[in-house]
Amino acid sequence: MSLDIREGELLAVVGENGAGKSSLMNVLYGLYHPDSGEVSVGGKSVRLKSPRDAIALGIGMVHQHFMLVPTLTVAENVVLGREPTRRGLFDWERAVKEVAATCERFGFVLDPRARVDTLTVGSQQKVEIVKALHRGARVLILDEPTAVLTPQEADELARVMRGLVAQGRTVVLISHKLKEVLGVADRIAVMRRGRLVAEVRPSETSATALAALMVGESQRAVMSNAAATPEEKLASEALLEAVGFPAQGDNARPALRVGEKPPGDVLLEATGLQALGDNGRPALRVGEKPAGDLLLEATGLQALGDNGCPALRGVDLTVREGEIVGIAGVDGNGQRELAEVLTGLRSLTAGSGTLLGRPLKGLTPAEARARGVGHVPEDRLRRAVVKALSVEENIALGRHSGPPFAKGMWIDFAGRRERAQALLAAYDVRPPEPTLPLQALSGGNQQKVVVARELDARPRLLVVVQPTRGLDIGAVTQVHARLREARAQGTGVVLVSLDLEEVLALADRVYVLFEGRVTGQFTRPEYDERELGRRMLGAEQAHG
Amino acid sequence: MGERTRQALPSVLSVLLSLLVCWMLIAFSRDMDGMATATAAYLQMLWGGVGDWPRFLDGAPATVLTRPLGEAAMKAALLTLTGLSVAVAFKVGLFNIGAQGQMLLGALAAAVVGAHLALPGALHIPAALLAAALAGGAWAGIAGALKLYRGVHEVISTIMLNWVAVRLVDNWLVVGPLRGVAEAGASITGTAEIHPTATLPRLLGDMSRLNLGFVIAALAAVAVWAWLTRTRSGFETRAVGLGDEAARAAGIPVARRAGLAMALAGALAGLAGAVLVLGTEGRYPGTLGAPYGFDGIAIALIGNNHPLGVGAAALFFGVLRAGGTRMQLLDVHKSFPELIQGLALLFVAGRLIWLAALRRRSAPKPATAAPPAPAAQVPHA
Repeated sequence: MSLDIREGELLAVVGENGAGKSSLMNVLYGLYHPDSGEVSVGGKSVRLKSPRDAIALGIGMVHQHFMLVPTLTVAENVVLGREPTRRGLFDWERAVKEVAATCERFGFVLDPRARVDTLTVGSQQKVEIVKALHRGARVLILDEPTAVLTPQEADELARVMRGLVAQGRTVVLISHKLKEVLGVADRIAVMRRGRLVAEVRPSETSATALAALMVGESQRAVMSNAAATPEEKLASEALLEAVGFPAQGDNARPALRVGEKPPGDVLLEATGLQALGDNGRPALRVGEKPAGDLLLEATGLQALGDNGCPALRGVDLTVREGEIVGIAGVDGNGQRELAEVLTGLRSLTAGSGTLLGRPLKGLTPAEARARGVGHVPEDRLRRAVVKALSVEENIALGRHSGPPFAKGMWIDFAGRRERAQALLAAYDVRPPEPTLPLQALSGGNQQKVVVARELDARPRLLVVVQPTRGLDIGAVTQVHARLREARAQGTGVVLVSLDLEEVLALADRVYVLFEGRVTGQFTRPEYDERELGRRMLGAEQAHG
Repeated sequence: MGERTRQALPSVLSVLLSLLVCWMLIAFSRDMDGMATATAAYLQMLWGGVGDWPRFLDGAPATVLTRPLGEAAMKAALLTLTGLSVAVAFKVGLFNIGAQGQMLLGALAAAVVGAHLALPGALHIPAALLAAALAGGAWAGIAGALKLYRGVHEVISTIMLNWVAVRLVDNWLVVGPLRGVAEAGASITGTAEIHPTATLPRLLGDMSRLNLGFVIAALAAVAVWAWLTRTRSGFETRAVGLGDEAARAAGIPVARRAGLAMALAGALAGLAGAVLVLGTEGRYPGTLGAPYGFDGIAIALIGNNHPLGVGAAALFFGVLRAGGTRMQLLDVHKSFPELIQGLALLFVAGRLIWLAALRRRSAPKPATAAPPAPAAQVPHA
């Protein structure tokens, strides 16, 4: 794997989950050490032993999960680690002044005195960028920066990135959102299974071609593009060269997945992806089929968040049989709490509703399960599975009191094994070994186990939260297909996802949540991504 | 290497290492003939625990075997019950430091029922055992309730309840209201003597002090094992201990499982007290000094919180404890078995280090498909 990063360019690195993007960037930032190969900066070979070395060389990184201290101010966060002092004491005023100067220089609008936990996610990300710039970063690596942003905030970020490049800084953008990459990058590097498979210019490619490259088909079509790059390389100075190291995952295992699919399958997935990208609709539309029975009807739901502040401030919601209802919104606007209310994990402070024929108030997790509510929670390892228990024990979890998992008070070992094996085969879980501790499976396979368990219970209402976070495209496709299948069988699905594309691709109706309120409701044919984005930021309108 | 072996090996290796370290400590603490003395002391300890086989083979009566074995078995029975108490609490994610206090309450309840209730033999023993289990369970239940309703950490509350139990039982009830009436002018300490109907029958008559308590402990270990692995409620209990949030989301009544497991833990410790009183002491003595409740923590950890592992560890240390007194014949202090137990606990705490070392040994096979070893069960303490 070799990659050149040139001064003053905006390079995008794209690839599937597990393609090695993050591993590569972690090598550049000194978090991982290459087994072989070398990194050279400005023509000189360097050894990056830790992020400290990388920072000294002017390499900065903005992680997907922000590394900020929420209770400190912007200025304090930015100077953290190299605080200006006066007579041995922290000089807060000088820190504020310095940070304000940096913000001004790069055109950021940030109040250095504001506490970080009062800022929006988009602003927090700016703090991260300012932090890197303040330390003299000339090369800025952004890891999936738009994953948590609204479309508007993402546009703003694109402007920020272009501005930095205009000032001669180099930006490396890691992403899997192809449209956005095409709009902003100077050059796109495509990675697949730890290899650089192509370098293309946005003007010479399309989202379809990039998606195909990422999953590994129709390579020839783009070869011509890749061939053009070597000559161009000579044209500009190689600021940073990472030559010839096999990028490896943090477990020192090549970033290869077990059980690759035969090429034919992958081609299908690539086409599927294109369809999703273009918002292709399923054949059935909600307007065309008779409305199913009402599964959930709730008005004025209110609940407190973990921090004791109101997280839901009056949510009205209906879910019918055989539809997927999407809940869109920026992270932390009450979606999680809403899902918890529907599954009995969080109690209501006000509001009422009917869930599967009985009141929503006073619902317990056991009661929710008994009524036929399935739940694929967001935090898999904390909520969905017990990782130290075996795969089959996890499949039984929640349904362990009845057949085929138990006979009377005793566990039915034979019945449990049989059901587990059937489900592992049907959902293509690898390895299909029911006795393995669950933590021995990869994240994608763990999620398949969870989805298999929940759907096997034949729920009438299924609440899924971020069902595909961290999964590779193969697993994502499978999970999406299963959700559609459940809908076709009459299950009502509540889909909470931070990935707007996912919501739009799957849902028949979408509620937009902002600060615990529904700020918009959209039905399939009238999806307008811009308008959805405005609602996600709190804009309300009389209709909708 | 099977998964079972891998789970058991750290404990076995820890015990062996502690035996070696103690042997060296005895050897170094002597001016001369240290090594010979240490070896001889270990042999005495062994004969004192499993029976004096050399003398038996030389023609001595069978009691030279049965007496030591009986002593070892009774110590093992007590260690098994308190070890199970700690292990059951561990399984649901609670750290029960309070087995000692629960045992005191159980012992007192058994002594009271044994002495003040007149029942036929077939009922008296079960009644006394039940009373002990209920008393121990209630005492643990206080800590459980404080945890569930008030969020008091069980380590704090169980430690404090230990002291409350000592003050309540040893310093007041036993010397005050429940003190046995002196007969014929002889002053006695402790509670009144229990009726013969409440005494746990000896299994080998006069040949040893081995009594029904050993059977009770063995049955308890098997029953706890079967409950945890074979039943729905045992599965729920383990799920709560390994991932309480996931268990809650799965509809398992987490608080009830935790509360019941804690009460069961207390009941097991209470049974230990009953076995002590009904089997060997015959009454609640002036003070129940033996810290079997605290030993239970070590036994549970060395037994890897597995009910059968607890039984095995208890048997081993029962033998060492019973034989330890015989080391005094060689001027070696009888507390060395406790030191061995303490060191073994210390080494077992380095479980992850053992597992890593074992992995490295089996590593030469390239690209083993072995799953990552499950992390050691660390109590939420």
